[in-house]
Amino acid sequence: MTAFLQRLARNRLAAAGGAMLALIVLVALAVPLLPLQDPNATATAERFARPLSEGHLLGTDHLGRDLLSRLAHGTRLSLAMGFAAALIAAVLGSVLGIVAGFLGGRVDNVIMRGVDMLMGFPYVLLALAIVAALGPGLVNALIAVAAVNVPFFARNIRGVTVALAGREFVDAARLSGMGNLRIMAVEILPNVLPVIVIALTTTTGWMILETAGLSFLGLGSQPPQADLGSMLGEARAALISHPHVAVVPGVMIFLVVMSINLFGDGVRDALDPRLGAGALTRPLPATVVDRPAPPPLREPDPPALLAIDDLRTEFRLGRRVLPAVDGVSLSLGRGEAVGLVGESGSGKSVTALSVMRLVASPPGVIAGGAVRLDGEEVIGAPFEVLRALRGRRVAYVFQDPQATLHPLYRIGDQLAEAIRAHQPMGARAARVRALELLRDVRMPRPEDRIDDYPHQLSGGQRQRVGIAMALANNPDVIIADEPTTALDVTVQAQILALLERLRRERGLSILFITHDFGVVAQLCERLAVMYAGRIVEEGPTAEVLAAPAHPYTRRLIACVPEPGAGRRRLEAIPGLPPRLDALPPGCAFAPRCHRARPDCGAGDIPLRRAGARAVRCLHPETTP
Amino acid sequence: MLLGITVIVFLIMSLIPGDPATAILGAYATPENVEKLNRDLGLDRPMVERYFIWLGNMLQGDFGRSFSLNRPVIDEVAERFSATLVLAGTSFVLCALFGIAAGVVSAVRQYGLADRLITFAVLIGISVPSFFLGMIMILFFAVRLRWFPVSGMYAIYGGGDLADLLHHLVMPAVALAAVAAGVVARLSRSAMLEVLRQDYIRTARAKGLRERRVIFGHALRSAMVSIIPVLGLQAGFVLSGAVYIETVFQWPGVGRMLVDAILKRDLMLVQGGVVFVAAAYVLFNIAVDVAQALLDPRIKT
Amino acid sequence: MTFRHPTRRGFLASTMSSLAALAAAGAMPRRARAATPPGVLVVGQIAEPKALDPAAVTAVNDFRILVNLYEGLTRYKPGTLEVAPGLATDWTISDDGTVYTFTLREGVRFHDGTPFDAEAVKFNFDRMLDESHPYHDTGPFPLAFFFGSVAKTEALDPRTVRFTLNEPYAPFLSNLAYPTGLIVSPEAVKRHGKEFGRNPVGTGPFRFVEWRSNEAVVIERNPDYWGEKAGTEAVIFRPITDANTRVAEMLAGGIDLMVEVPPTSLAQFRGGGFSIVEQAGPHLWFLILNCKEGPFADKRVRQAANYAINKEAIVNDVLEGTATVAAGPIPPAFNWAYNDALEPYPYDPDKARALIEEAGAAGAKLVFYVTEGGSGMLDPVPMGTAIQADLEAVGFDVEIKTFEWNTFLGQVNPGLEGKADMAEMAWMTNDPDTLPYLALRTEAWPDKGGFNSGYYSNPKVDELLEKARTSTDQAERARLYKEMQVIVHDDAPWVFVANWKQNAVTSDRVKNFRLEPSFLLHLASVVKE
Repeated sequence: MTAFLQRLARNRLAAAGGAMLALIVLVALAVPLLPLQDPNATATAERFARPLSEGHLLGTDHLGRDLLSRLAHGTRLSLAMGFAAALIAAVLGSVLGIVAGFLGGRVDNVIMRGVDMLMGFPYVLLALAIVAALGPGLVNALIAVAAVNVPFFARNIRGVTVALAGREFVDAARLSGMGNLRIMAVEILPNVLPVIVIALTTTTGWMILETAGLSFLGLGSQPPQADLGSMLGEARAALISHPHVAVVPGVMIFLVVMSINLFGDGVRDALDPRLGAGALTRPLPATVVDRPAPPPLREPDPPALLAIDDLRTEFRLGRRVLPAVDGVSLSLGRGEAVGLVGESGSGKSVTALSVMRLVASPPGVIAGGAVRLDGEEVIGAPFEVLRALRGRRVAYVFQDPQATLHPLYRIGDQLAEAIRAHQPMGARAARVRALELLRDVRMPRPEDRIDDYPHQLSGGQRQRVGIAMALANNPDVIIADEPTTALDVTVQAQILALLERLRRERGLSILFITHDFGVVAQLCERLAVMYAGRIVEEGPTAEVLAAPAHPYTRRLIACVPEPGAGRRRLEAIPGLPPRLDALPPGCAFAPRCHRARPDCGAGDIPLRRAGARAVRCLHPETTP
Repeated sequence: MLLGITVIVFLIMSLIPGDPATAILGAYATPENVEKLNRDLGLDRPMVERYFIWLGNMLQGDFGRSFSLNRPVIDEVAERFSATLVLAGTSFVLCALFGIAAGVVSAVRQYGLADRLITFAVLIGISVPSFFLGMIMILFFAVRLRWFPVSGMYAIYGGGDLADLLHHLVMPAVALAAVAAGVVARLSRSAMLEVLRQDYIRTARAKGLRERRVIFGHALRSAMVSIIPVLGLQAGFVLSGAVYIETVFQWPGVGRMLVDAILKRDLMLVQGGVVFVAAAYVLFNIAVDVAQALLDPRIKT
Repeated sequence: MTFRHPTRRGFLASTMSSLAALAAAGAMPRRARAATPPGVLVVGQIAEPKALDPAAVTAVNDFRILVNLYEGLTRYKPGTLEVAPGLATDWTISDDGTVYTFTLREGVRFHDGTPFDAEAVKFNFDRMLDESHPYHDTGPFPLAFFFGSVAKTEALDPRTVRFTLNEPYAPFLSNLAYPTGLIVSPEAVKRHGKEFGRNPVGTGPFRFVEWRSNEAVVIERNPDYWGEKAGTEAVIFRPITDANTRVAEMLAGGIDLMVEVPPTSLAQFRGGGFSIVEQAGPHLWFLILNCKEGPFADKRVRQAANYAINKEAIVNDVLEGTATVAAGPIPPAFNWAYNDALEPYPYDPDKARALIEEAGAAGAKLVFYVTEGGSGMLDPVPMGTAIQADLEAVGFDVEIKTFEWNTFLGQVNPGLEGKADMAEMAWMTNDPDTLPYLALRTEAWPDKGGFNSGYYSNPKVDELLEKARTSTDQAERARLYKEMQVIVHDDAPWVFVANWKQNAVTSDRVKNFRLEPSFLLHLASVVKE
């Protein structure tokens, strides 16, 4: 709850909307205490007084009634009506929606048919007919407005409920012998509540507006009572000659609806569990770069194809800055395969994505360092240059092919698109080439598969498509970000074999991001281990595996089950990776390290190189 | 479903006090006169019997005769309905086009100037009653500037061609589209924001696609999956909003006709009109479902 | 920097251009088209007509078209409500007042070329009144009861027609001048049957051209008219239901003439190329008080209500001077029957309070039926609200209930008993007899088929009204009505509020336009420059 409030407060627009709404509601509640004139006292001789005239701050209406006073009373009534109508509609609609969605079958059919029927009838006419049938009056108008909204709620809630009804916790509740009624009340309702709240906030404003529409048709509240809608409706007759009478309630309606909507959006964002921080944001086409001048080119030895030099990537969330990648340098030679290993959250994926500026931004920012491809700086390059490199010279293979392939395009089209992004070629030629690629990645029966959608493929097949897409333009570098993590062990082995074969046949350089030493051992000559945004150990794979220098590396290796090695004790690393915004001074691993000594936390620890190996530790396991 | 609607209409209309004879006679509606006139109109039979007579006739294509307009219902409804289709259809296209465009721009330029302007315009759009907007537009563009005619569908003298129709259509269509466009824009914006965060957008960018292709080819296409059902709902709103707009702009459409018919208790006309409107709504929603299925291969079963 | 504006070009361009195209398609070539053509008068009507068959319609809105297409045996003398010769040149009335013999005008032909003669007249009345007439099914004829006293119609010769009434009925001649009495072409009725209402044929100064549903009714000058030919080539009646839109059309030049201008909009038309026309008519806006039960059963409380309501404020402020204060049950437009000596109840809240105190009705709760709008009801909601405020000011507790017009009639016409203490009402009639006869007599209580919804009963009034109805001597009738007005004024079964002055606005290209007290819209003499 507090987290919810914090998130809400952090959203400035929502906070402003909430504040305005609170102010309006407060004033509305305080109306009986305020020194206002009688809202119904007529003085026809003083009709249509302009705003700011003597005794009438906002002027008077067609009967000489004080507009300020009517506005205050009207707002009070309209808010009450709007909320009440929205609430009624929400309760009825939600009950119908939950029952229909949960019970399904014939009940669902009958209810939804009814709802569809009501929706097929233009709502204004429905309200009109209801008011005509029930007779005039505020309560009946309220019923009419609420009734026409029931279907919208019912439909929304039903959709959500159907999704929930198939979930495990509902099955569990059913197995534990809970009655349907109880499941709906205890299990379903709490889960659809956010949706109801969101729909509620969005409809309240609309309801207030709709009463104005009804009074346009002559079905508002009973005179002399003021509500915003009928004030606007009554003012319509004098719209041409005395517009201020309409503008006053009109502006109020606008303010109410706007504040409710802003606040509602804020509530929605804050309730949405997927959003850790603040509102929904979208990533820019390329990560924002905000760095001092790139470090000077140091000629590496041997000359590298891809050189990452002192790269710093941060996540900037409001005032917090999380250094996800903190001065990483790594190089990749032509034809070389390098593994970048670490736990999740260690910064290895961010490092990989930073290379082509694919880190989501906001919140990601590249705050320092350089990436050079054949000696050319990439990070500072204009977008079009960068775009030309993406996929053509540096291609990515991502972790979860289910999420990374576009669900609405046939795989052949996605492949062809990748090809044609960099090679001008006709659709037919691209298709031929796509087929070739599918063959290259050993896709079974590629002619049949090429017109499939991603959801029709198995996980392994999808990843083959992902790899085929990466190969589309014969890139120099493939950055594979945990390409096998989401796959079965057997499929994993096939994919690794495929990558290995492609590397050999094509002389590809591969940067392989993984948390699994077994995978690295199979594919990579060299590896680097990352922890808390920094490289803690680097060296030839065989050497590091045989004799890890950093205690963290050793612990990581101990986590890997070795096929064929029999039952070996798997050691979990005690503790959790540190929070990036609260890194301890000195070695970040020290708090979890069994070898930690007081000096580990004393100050920055450099990465010490010795030959091909390097380690960032004061008390290494072995001295390389 | 259409049958159900006709039953509902009959029920509601039978609940409404007052009858057509009162409506015709107005101040002269004595019980005696009312009774005689109801007999002349054939309204003295029980409701249920009249319903089945009506249903039987309708199935043979006879929608009956409107007493308040003194002409066959089908003629009136067909004329009015096509006028509404022109108006609502144009509005719908406008609201979809502008709503989605505004939503996309606003999402892609999130927190930029365009986003703020669009958000503000959208808020105004969804918080101004359409009749109010329509009236203001008339005063400004028709009375003050004289760019467009105040009301009607064709020029009263001469005209009658397509340009004339368009000329008359601009203001009501825009006024009607405004509110719905606001809703669509809000939804499109959040749908786009949602989609742009997806991994496959990153994939598309990693492929080196042009940004335009990423936004329109990949992101918008996915966002449409959640936008299209809302467009279906908006069709209902547009039809309802047409009631106000048709009144303000004197558009000879079916919405205003239905309001009049309800007020005059012209059951036959209400029935005929509602059946048409509901059928259109059903057809439209079928079209929406089809579009949805075409767009999203996962829906096909 | 192109990548930072990835969307602007594609999307905005396409959508903007589509709207611009839409706008340009209409706006540019026609900017000057606002004015209506010369010689063609465009009239803004308040609604689409129901039919153009005079026997089948009831709305003033429809009458405004009909009187230009058709003529009756009699008509109202211009500027008055007195009966003058129309298609009949003269007539005689038997001494007992039951036989009317008319001589018809010679050489008159319907627009379809068929002659107007006694048989045609007989056809008209038989069609309406005789349920076995072959064309009775072209109805229904809701106002046929205007001629309910006609026992038979005979064509004595082509130029002479005789009506025999089953009892003396003084308003007969003025009812003939009313639109329900307009004469239609029998041949056209035979040809079009039920569709006659959409294919009207009469004898009037204009003939029908076309009716574009919900758009316009077009009529043109009848070149063969027997009298003076019409001053305009054609008249187009446009239905514009929304008052604001009608005003906007008038301001924009889309129409030349509009009727029923909303009071608050009148200021827009003062000066600047428009002229405002006003004409008082036989209209009365009043409150029915429930004399049978509740506080208004006491005459003093009814009088108190008359004193308490500030009618001057209502007519001058709420209605912006488009009405005058009413004094009694007969509007001053019936000048021969109106009692000039009668003064409206003055606005005197103190006297009202005193009367209420005396009757012990202080703080009484009143239910007040108000309609949303309706024929002749002017601005019923603001008026009702102002009345409510006035009554509250003298110590009543008034609850307003609003109804849409037809529901309202359904509630009020069967009587207020057990439901309400007061209700708004308005009547426009063509004869001083109609309203009091239908709404003030004891015999007109709702259960007896009348409109006396407030159950007023005074034997003296009943007697005076019966006598006036059967007398054929206008002076005698005038005396009786004047006496009746004094009694009713004092008994105060109603609150007499306002007599409406009908208004219209024309552009100053329109000349010779005049409104008639009958509320009919005769356009034959109008010229447009």
